[in-house]
Amino acid sequence: MWLWFSKLGSPKWFYELSGKWLPWLVIPMAMLLIVGIIWALLFVPPDYQQGETIRIMYIHVPFASISLAFFPLMAVAGTITLVWKMKLADMVAKVAAPLGAWFTVLALASGSIWGSDIWGTWWIWDGRLTSMLLQFFLLIGVISLRSALEDTDAAAKACAVLSIVGCINVFVIKYSVDWWNTLHQPSSSFSLSDEAPNPPEVWVPLVIMIVAVYLFFAVSLILSTRNEILVRERRAQWVQELVEAK
Amino acid sequence: MKPHRRKKLGIILFIAAGLSVSIGLILYAMSQNINLFYTPTQVAQGEVGVGQQIRIGGMVKEGSVVSASDSLLVRFETTDYVHAVPIEYEGILPDLFREGQGIVAEGTVDSAGVFHASRVLAKHDENYMSQEVKAALDAAGVDTSGHPTSLLPPES
Repeated sequence: MWLWFSKLGSPKWFYELSGKWLPWLVIPMAMLLIVGIIWALLFVPPDYQQGETIRIMYIHVPFASISLAFFPLMAVAGTITLVWKMKLADMVAKVAAPLGAWFTVLALASGSIWGSDIWGTWWIWDGRLTSMLLQFFLLIGVISLRSALEDTDAAAKACAVLSIVGCINVFVIKYSVDWWNTLHQPSSSFSLSDEAPNPPEVWVPLVIMIVAVYLFFAVSLILSTRNEILVRERRAQWVQELVEAK
Repeated sequence: MKPHRRKKLGIILFIAAGLSVSIGLILYAMSQNINLFYTPTQVAQGEVGVGQQIRIGGMVKEGSVVSASDSLLVRFETTDYVHAVPIEYEGILPDLFREGQGIVAEGTVDSAGVFHASRVLAKHDENYMSQEVKAALDAAGVDTSGHPTSLLPPES
């Protein structure tokens, strides 16, 4: 198990393996995205209260839910960096921060558009929205911290600590709607019955979109990690050979 | 795992746990400030000072909405089914505003206990369904009034 663990930590090994994984992620991602978007935009019945606006949910919920994965991901990677000094873990942590900021912005923006139509305001300082905005600023903080420190190892350690601390905010975002009263509604619970709130005609396309966006997350993360590997290992022999072969 | 690594991991976990507990306690202590709105019961019981800028959240009481014929002035009551607070608002209401719907209003309470709103927002619940499913549920007598649970008084 420890052998496998240290093997996974080898950038070269990860680069080769992830190259083989990519098509198996990209093809289902593209198919699910196409099916999910067409279903959500054209075939989901209008909501009894919100009408056509409900379609924004099929963008907002997947992006909002995956954007909560970044801090735990960076915290795990950061812990591995601090304890085992694995290079690959820090590469993943580095590329995750800007990606996470983009996903968080998309969740905030799609939520604002939804809110401006249904709530009557595009922003309110309630627990859910504020903690989500805090996550965006924390991610910007992680990105700035890394670029402010020139020494790669020092930057890796500092960012790892900030990521572990930032993880706490994820729980605040997740449970904000239960702990405090907010304008944002709580999470839905979906029903298997056709005749109940949140029937399958509402959530099946949502699940498709969620899986598609999770795959998009995985693909983006793998692609940018591969890029980072090539940059950091540019003096390694196997990268030089790879470049010459192209 | 080597001893120095185990020690490092222990320190990280200890710091993370300590921080979580302290932030948890801070948030718990501040929860009344983090809450977005007061309930009609809190306002009716005088927890809010006259003229203090606050938000109030509740359901629009059925049969309470009265619109002026010559202006945008609207009078209605907001309720958590224990106490109701009368609200006066002049302006455009969100599309989702209707009787039995959740709302959050910003404004001040006057000495007569009337809430003067400067802004009214609609609050919806987490139940989504089509018009057909809603009609079927209503026909079957299932309660889909869609009252956001946070607008109702805590069960006691």
